[in-house]
Amino acid sequence: MTISILYFGMLAEATGHPSETWEATDPLSVGQLREQLLQKYPVLRDRKFQLAVNQQIADSAMPINTNAEVALLPPFAGG
Amino acid sequence: MEKTHTPKKVFVDGPISPQFISDSIAKHQSKTNIGAHSLFLGQIRADQKDGGVVTGIEYTAYTEMAEKVFHDIREAAFAKFDLVCMHIYHSLGLVPTGEVSLFVFVSSAHRRASFEALEYVVEEIKAKVPIFGKELIGETGEYTWKENK
Repeated sequence: MTISILYFGMLAEATGHPSETWEATDPLSVGQLREQLLQKYPVLRDRKFQLAVNQQIADSAMPINTNAEVALLPPFAGG
Repeated sequence: MEKTHTPKKVFVDGPISPQFISDSIAKHQSKTNIGAHSLFLGQIRADQKDGGVVTGIEYTAYTEMAEKVFHDIREAAFAKFDLVCMHIYHSLGLVPTGEVSLFVFVSSAHRRASFEALEYVVEEIKAKVPIFGKELIGETGEYTWKENK
């Protein structure tokens, strides 16, 4: 299945791009995707980030469906 | 059934000007059921960092999600506190030191609701809205990424 991944702030900088299309095995959980991301981008291992699936903060057990929009969010800095 | 409020535009390009803030206050003179306004203005500090002084913050956001979260915070505040109205504005792009990047404006019939709602809304924004800030340092193009505590 195909999902889209968005990178924000320091994470876009670390991975070198703001977004990409990701070919993934189905089923896929948020925790599994996080592991795959860390393998592709070892630089993310020492960065703090949360994952949002379809614009909702997601815990690691949450399943990811095809065409989902997954965002990697570094620490928030609003205000 | 809770009263729902239509999503409002929160993001503005660059700093929020004192003129914008005073115009916003003036617009409430016709709302005579209001007895108390509370305002929060977040201003960019010239923090001392390794390599120099902060000259400004460049804000970016996951805007689609941020707008949803701002809407949820508004709804929750209206449900929790007895408010007449609420406005939230946040900057995107560059905001130089000394200028305002966050403007929260809550109004109620009596003071207590506006004091409490203001603190609640500001803390929720800091903790939950996906906004990112690059603190620009000195004149050399150096920067660090800001993180809310």
